[in-house]
Amino acid sequence: MGYEQLVSQNPVQSLSMGDKKNQLGLVMARAGLGKTALLVQIALDSILRGNKVIHVSIGESIDKTRLWYDDILKLIIEEQKLENATELMEMVARNRMIMTFKESAFSRPRLEERLNDLVLQNIFQPCCLVVDGFDFENSDRPMLEDIKDLSESMSLQAWFSAISHRGDDRFSPTGVPAPCHEVDDLFDTVILLKPESDATIQLDVIRNSGELVETGNGLSLDPTTMLVKKS
Amino acid sequence: MKKDLAKVRNIGISAHIDSGKTTLTERILFYTQRIHAIHEVRGKDGVGATMDSMELEKERGITIQSAATYCSWKDHDINIIDTPGHVDFTIEVERALRVLDGAVLILCSVGGVQSQSITVNRQMTRYKVPRIAFINKCDRTGANPYRVTGQLRDKLDLNAIMIQLPIGLENDLEGMIDLVTMKAVYFDGEQGDEIRIEEIPAHLRDDADEKREELLDAVSMFSDDLMEAMLEEEEIPEEMIHEAIRKGTLSLELTPVMIGSAYKNKGVQLLLDAVNSYLPCPTDIENIALDLDKEEEEIPVSNDPEDKLVALAFKLEDGRYGQLTYIRTYQGTINKGDSMINSRTGKKVKIGRLVRMHADEMEEIDHAGSGDIIALFGIDCASGDTFCNDGLNWSMSSMHVPAPVISLAINPVDNKAQVNMSKALNRFTKEDPTFKTYVDHETNETIISGMGELHLEVYIERMKREYKAEVEIGAPQVAYRETILQRADFDYTHKKQTGGSGQYGRVAGYLEPIEESDYEFVDEIVGGVIPREFISSCDKGFKKSLAKGTLTGSPITGIKAVINDGSFHAVDSSDVAFQQAAVGAFRQGFAKANPVIMEPIMKVAVEGPSEFQGSVMGSLNQRRGVIIGTFEEGNYTVVEAEIPLSEMFGYSTTLRSLTQGKAEFTMEFSTYKQVPKSVSEELIKAYEAQKKDA
Repeated sequence: MGYEQLVSQNPVQSLSMGDKKNQLGLVMARAGLGKTALLVQIALDSILRGNKVIHVSIGESIDKTRLWYDDILKLIIEEQKLENATELMEMVARNRMIMTFKESAFSRPRLEERLNDLVLQNIFQPCCLVVDGFDFENSDRPMLEDIKDLSESMSLQAWFSAISHRGDDRFSPTGVPAPCHEVDDLFDTVILLKPESDATIQLDVIRNSGELVETGNGLSLDPTTMLVKKS
Repeated sequence: MKKDLAKVRNIGISAHIDSGKTTLTERILFYTQRIHAIHEVRGKDGVGATMDSMELEKERGITIQSAATYCSWKDHDINIIDTPGHVDFTIEVERALRVLDGAVLILCSVGGVQSQSITVNRQMTRYKVPRIAFINKCDRTGANPYRVTGQLRDKLDLNAIMIQLPIGLENDLEGMIDLVTMKAVYFDGEQGDEIRIEEIPAHLRDDADEKREELLDAVSMFSDDLMEAMLEEEEIPEEMIHEAIRKGTLSLELTPVMIGSAYKNKGVQLLLDAVNSYLPCPTDIENIALDLDKEEEEIPVSNDPEDKLVALAFKLEDGRYGQLTYIRTYQGTINKGDSMINSRTGKKVKIGRLVRMHADEMEEIDHAGSGDIIALFGIDCASGDTFCNDGLNWSMSSMHVPAPVISLAINPVDNKAQVNMSKALNRFTKEDPTFKTYVDHETNETIISGMGELHLEVYIERMKREYKAEVEIGAPQVAYRETILQRADFDYTHKKQTGGSGQYGRVAGYLEPIEESDYEFVDEIVGGVIPREFISSCDKGFKKSLAKGTLTGSPITGIKAVINDGSFHAVDSSDVAFQQAAVGAFRQGFAKANPVIMEPIMKVAVEGPSEFQGSVMGSLNQRRGVIIGTFEEGNYTVVEAEIPLSEMFGYSTTLRSLTQGKAEFTMEFSTYKQVPKSVSEELIKAYEAQKKDA
């Protein structure tokens, strides 16, 4: 593959769940702080490790989602001064599939059907599922359990993003804000994005691979590029 | 005479093939007294419907060209643009959509929303065209307008609301209940032209009350007065409901649904009423022009007939009376005898004859105000050109013209055909921006290219019929290219001693891949080892080599040629000698520079019901495709993929059989990519075999 160096240099790997299957991850933040950017970096990390990723975008277009990948890849290529840019971008395109759903059209049976379309015909064998735009506000616990079930039955690692709101002070005992405060125990890894006064965005890891984490692990998002950095 | 623009309607009639569009148009023309007898599309009287003016269309029972026709209904002027219903002709549909203000979307009450309806609906949404739905063929077995209305909501995502109820269905279709006036309407007489209005039949009363409630609920959003009246439980005036429906329709947030059967002469007059009541007039729609003098600044057109002229030529036709140019005016007035400027070419044209079209017949007029659709004679232009006068240099925003994706060679069978063929091609390329033609200098064949196999077939057919140009057709071709992947040096000496003056030239340097341009020539010669006057000869020689690659004979792109050394002979060196040397040097360098074949990659989008998504993805995957993603909305899915063009031949047939004809695809050129090794070897083998034969 030849991307080992890129993988090991990527600070994302310390919080992603590696190649562990059947794990559920959650990225939470208020609107506009970089949830999608982080999800895309987690997905890219997985692709660079040689996996295939399905990116489920709810309420977003294929083109927009694709643009996220292209932009972040370009930043990485620039930063690492990579030579084989086209090759890398093509490799990513081959190992990523975007599924977009209109809000009303997304459901577990739908998702399962789509995934089976791909897997059974051997078109695409994903290891990692990224779900951006899932509506936690209007979903209940059984629904999430259902999707957790699905990812387990298909041996997937799955990542979700959720929007928290300023002024909503409902929290789970471990500190996960609403709307996920009642379902946070379903997730093995939970990351909060917190804006700091110096304009950086800190990654507050509440739980990592099932272990509770007391303090953050010193990662932040560069506010201009939205790339994960060690601070 | 100043025309009241509020009483002008420019509408399109758009639909899935076979949902009865032509029949409906025919009936509209009959009731508006533009024609005096009704002919069926596939009629036995051999006359055919008036709108299908081309013979070919008559024969196939389909409409290919969109003819504009004029009629008037209850003191409103209506211009109807008949639009074709096949995917390969979508440029026609899109061009028509550009000039119309509103549309009637026809659906078959049995077939319902089909894939073509989805495409057309999407195009209408793109061009922000307000629309009314007309569920036709309610007399047919299996008719179910309620189900079709549901599909309009689910599949097309329209806020569709029935404003009529059928009285009886299938064979028993008698008439309809107008939910605004709450009256039953019947159509008597041989041709349904005697309208009888009665009370709603008792057994449908409850149904009608219930549906009216639904209608009022839906439209009350668009009128505060109406909402208030409903809350107060007052009697609601008809006008108020009309006004609310109109407002909802214009804002594209409501689609009134009407029903009927054009074939059985039921409901057409009410549809015309609705066109007058609910569809926009030219001033309701904002059209944008681009000011070419101010770097294409966007300017809304004024619609004022007193202003300077801005008009768009949206269609050319070669009629039996000579070339006809269909024009839509956006502001100003066109007068017979005036002149105007084509803003693309800057040429001045004089307006000779000005006519209002009614399918095949025409009416001479002296002038046409803004918002009108008319036709001109003897104007030389291409479709999509804008005309202005009085120093205005505007262009109506350019239409999205997709690049041609398929080409094939045509050879005229005899001399006469040759002459006619070039006449025909000249006409077609002007009429249709997606149809292109050129002569391949190597094979001396004429190549035509377009949007799909059927697209080209229709033109070949038209050539035969209208221009009597019989041609032989080659196999469809993909445009390959060649390029290099790495830098390579060359050092080549061209030497020839054939008595008399010889030829001598030596060129050395290197080739290098570049991405920014197709070809770049760099001269790094120092000390005059190649004399000045022969530098350009080297450039010429390289350029000559680019035309035909050594792998498959395709053009070579993405190459930088640098010369840095060489030598010459005082007597034997010449322009020709250095050109030859450069050709040889290029061949030498190219072979060492890891040459590869590139192929066009198409962005393909397949749209269809979700149930077929699995098999669609399977079929795309088999074609060396990379599936980019899927988009799901209701029960309808789009799969986007990037696939080599060479793998797409015959895909329409495959797709049709995979999905029972319910899915369709569009494709456009995306980029060039290197072909995989196995394919490349085959191409090279085929090219070598071809060279041997020659």
